[in-house]
Amino acid sequence: MSNMTGTSKSIQIEDLQNALTETIERVHAEKDDRKKKKLILQISKYNSKLNKLKSGKLLSRQAKRDLIAYSFIAPNFIGFCVFTLIPIVFAFALAFMKWDGSNPITFEGLNNFKRLFGDTFFKAALKNTIIYCVGTVPLTMVASLALAIILNQKVVGRGIFRTLAFFPYVASLVAITSVWKMLFHPSKGPINNILYTFFHVPQESLPQWFSGSLCVISMILFSVWKYMGYYMVIYLAGLQGIPGELYEAAALDGAGTWKQFKYITWPQLSSTTFFVVVMLTINCFKVYDIAVMLAGGGSGELTTSATVLVYYIYQKAFIDWDLGYSSAVAMVLFLMVLVVTIIQFRGQARKEA
Amino acid sequence: MKKKVISLLMSAAVAASLLAGCGAQPAPAPATEAPKTETKEETPAAEVKEETPAAEETVEEAEPVTLKWAIWDESTTQYWGDIKAAYETAHPNVTIEMVDLGSTDYMTVLATELSGSGSDFDVVTIKDVPGYATLVQKNAIIPLDDYIAADGVDLSKYAGATDQVTVDGKLYELPFRNDFWVLFYNKDIFDAAGVDYPTNDMTWEEYDELARKVTDTTFGSQIYGTHYHTWRSTVQLCAVLDGKHSILDGNYDFMKPYYEMVLNQEKDGVCRKYTDLKTEGLHYSAAFSGGDVAMLNMGSWFIATMMTNLKSGEYDSSLCGNWGIVKYPHADGVPAGSTLGTITGLAVTSASDTPDAAWDFVKWVSGEEGAAVMASSGNFPAIMTDEVKEAITSLDGFPTDEASKEALNVSNLYLEVPYGENVSEINSILDSYHGSIMTGEMSIDDGIAAMNEEVSALLK
Amino acid sequence: MRSAHRKAIIRKIIVYILLLIIAVLMITPFLWMFSAAIKSDREVFKINPFVFIPPVPKWSNYVDIWTRIPFARFVGNTFFLTIVVTLLQLLTSSFAAYSFAKLRFRYRNGLFLAYIATIAMPWQVYMVPQFILMRRMGLNDRLLAIICLQAFSAFGVFLMKQFYEGIPDDLCEAARIDGMSEYQIYTRIMLPLSKPALATLVIFTFVNTWNDYLGPLIYLKTQNKKTIQLGLKMFISQYSSDYGLIMAGSMLSLIPVLIIFLCFQKYFVEGVASTGLKG
Repeated sequence: MSNMTGTSKSIQIEDLQNALTETIERVHAEKDDRKKKKLILQISKYNSKLNKLKSGKLLSRQAKRDLIAYSFIAPNFIGFCVFTLIPIVFAFALAFMKWDGSNPITFEGLNNFKRLFGDTFFKAALKNTIIYCVGTVPLTMVASLALAIILNQKVVGRGIFRTLAFFPYVASLVAITSVWKMLFHPSKGPINNILYTFFHVPQESLPQWFSGSLCVISMILFSVWKYMGYYMVIYLAGLQGIPGELYEAAALDGAGTWKQFKYITWPQLSSTTFFVVVMLTINCFKVYDIAVMLAGGGSGELTTSATVLVYYIYQKAFIDWDLGYSSAVAMVLFLMVLVVTIIQFRGQARKEA
Repeated sequence: MKKKVISLLMSAAVAASLLAGCGAQPAPAPATEAPKTETKEETPAAEVKEETPAAEETVEEAEPVTLKWAIWDESTTQYWGDIKAAYETAHPNVTIEMVDLGSTDYMTVLATELSGSGSDFDVVTIKDVPGYATLVQKNAIIPLDDYIAADGVDLSKYAGATDQVTVDGKLYELPFRNDFWVLFYNKDIFDAAGVDYPTNDMTWEEYDELARKVTDTTFGSQIYGTHYHTWRSTVQLCAVLDGKHSILDGNYDFMKPYYEMVLNQEKDGVCRKYTDLKTEGLHYSAAFSGGDVAMLNMGSWFIATMMTNLKSGEYDSSLCGNWGIVKYPHADGVPAGSTLGTITGLAVTSASDTPDAAWDFVKWVSGEEGAAVMASSGNFPAIMTDEVKEAITSLDGFPTDEASKEALNVSNLYLEVPYGENVSEINSILDSYHGSIMTGEMSIDDGIAAMNEEVSALLK
Repeated sequence: MRSAHRKAIIRKIIVYILLLIIAVLMITPFLWMFSAAIKSDREVFKINPFVFIPPVPKWSNYVDIWTRIPFARFVGNTFFLTIVVTLLQLLTSSFAAYSFAKLRFRYRNGLFLAYIATIAMPWQVYMVPQFILMRRMGLNDRLLAIICLQAFSAFGVFLMKQFYEGIPDDLCEAARIDGMSEYQIYTRIMLPLSKPALATLVIFTFVNTWNDYLGPLIYLKTQNKKTIQLGLKMFISQYSSDYGLIMAGSMLSLIPVLIIFLCFQKYFVEGVASTGLKG
């Protein structure tokens, strides 16, 4: 057996050697540049094959390195591929189909997207989601930046304050929304009670925090409160990256606090702000649980004044079993996130240029 | 433990009394019972289904079978366990495996479980009609007509309920529980206010008047004359009781007077505010057992809940122990006793590999034997006979006055939601605008107009 | 000079006042939660006069919650999920990130782009197809589904890669010359260095998994597989007026995340700073 492979190997080597010398001769003879290049490429291939055979190793050094690298990536990538990439591709396809999860899939073309235009609930969801984003993104950004600047000063108990600010982010949504609903209870909650007792707001006009147009505002307030600690940490990290000399120089020039902020802190933080805004936007478009838990009541149903895109996606998919249409709504969500991200990338690139 | 024993004893007693009345086969006679159904089944199975599995069934009839059954709230609902125990005693070769899917999103969860392949449920409980429609459209459950025809199940005993869930001439579920809506009231509150109890023959106007009479808006010791849970059924469905309208109509103008009544009551403090209820997610049982609600319109399932929870001490009997029921109020010119019905059914999944055994279970539970078990815990089986009524009203804990017993006599029963093609979507639309009207986001007229528009667009 | 000194003092005072306001805003709901958890239903909404601890504290709420619903089961499930997901996430992410940051190989940029692109993709966009796929694989209503869902996030890889890129390449080169294999370099040099980044990732993953609601809602159906968040929500809709119990349950659900946060927060800001999360 070994003898046979041994002989076949020497034959192979001989063949390759012959092919190599032949090609080298042809290169010399060849006039056309492009063809010449091709042949040279072939020569290098023959060479590497020869080396491999002669050294008796199966893999070249490069291939080995690749393999090691892939072995590092594989555990995560396989999971990522199966559970994220494939579903994403599937989601794109599904938006053009009609499917209820059981019966055969049929192709729908653009019909799902056409339906969107006449759908009152979709329009309400889209509107609420946009209002929520427009309210939440700037407010959270400003609040977290202010918080970060204050907590970056040398103050007593800084660590404790930082931890406190991060508490709401860590706390579970179900738990914390139930507290908010008690605090803002329309007729019994302490907030309305204070409004009634101390500010003499008549009982009929006490704000109904979780219904009507106030609903989205409550959602915005809640998200700012819950998430500002998280973005504060990111800003803190950004602030710590600004060299102290800049401030010293500015102080020497007589620049006040506001000027220091305007000419040093803000421009230095621009990449942090970019990151914060992108992450905030993405997270805001994803809003679902906040709406369901604040405005959904026991059954979790949302009226047109509180419905959001993800809720509609969920409802269409898991209650009405209209998977294609649900995917089409999801595509709208994706497109909006994409557009906002691209706009911000452009702005960022221009600033840096 | 003790409770269980009592209930079992009771179920046996009720069963015995029932049997004397209807002359059905004795339930605790497995030896004769089991082969009988098997032989009956053989003929249709051979005709309709592929021959091989049916033949196997009959040859190895004693072969142990396990049926996986989807239910909700096992710990708080007594009859699931009772049914399982009674059926297993009658059919020693069958094991019933209950899977609790929780009541909150039961039908959603079930539809998820059953869509596509990979489910291993044999029998599923059908909680509501929209969910039933979804399962039928997904081909997740099988039509039972061939079985029904072959076993000679008489559908007329379901008093028309099965007609309303028949899809294109086919029936996919058999009801085993049939609840109807009644008016619960707290006698102590009426006594304290010196107001006469509600009666079995009230128009909506009389009901409204009564609710206002008993209401006390003094801050700190409020008494609410009535209570509406956040479901749309509590308001919208008062309107369909005249028999002329249905929830699938596409035009909902007829609901306006009822919205006006409820919203006016809310304004005057006669009932709790919808927005408050929604914020706290207050459960109707918590509201009624709290002792500050005089009347509550609710399904008859709440009777069993009241009875068990008062007995176990979960509800404070000084607050709500003295309760009664009367017939649902009715519109002018409609006979008293017209009310809404909600059926709970059983269906056989298309994924089941033992459909014949599953069908036998469905037939048993929805038949007379199952009815006896249901009645023993104060629940209303789909087959309502005088004996069943008698069994329920004589249970310990059931209100003792004559009016409460009389309240169980229903003259016209309208299903909350009959079957329709888009019933699931219509349901979502009506739910959503019910919320909008009740929170005041939309005026009654705007809300109803929006319902009309959305639903007719769907029906087109 | 003196006015400057006074200015500095005023500034300090303003800062402290602001801090106080923030602290109050942040902590009030938690204090309310704590207080309501030991009150009876009648005391919960009394604010005139407001008592923080009622004369007869109802500590029994903390006991009752374990018997009213299978709370222990929910806690067990959530712990299991969170710990497995966090460990898997740390392991696979740092593994893959090392490769992306320190090794040169074919299709590196392409593969990394796939990761980056999905960070901007909201999970909700593909949750439906993902669910269908998982159900096909028989993962519906199994805890494993949540593990698969959470453990392989692009975010973790991105975070760790940013951190590793901050570690000088010379370190690895030197180790390679010493004859260490890539696996040895990863375990002996990189992992010990990446504590801040790992701590950051632990906090993020732990908080996310522990508090996740929509994922378990879609995948976990049977009662005994539910997580704390689902259990709490179910409890709230069932015992809607038992505020004390609801608050007690909520308090309990906060404790593990708080412990994790406090343990790792030492590294946290450093971690965020060094992982380039700041942009």
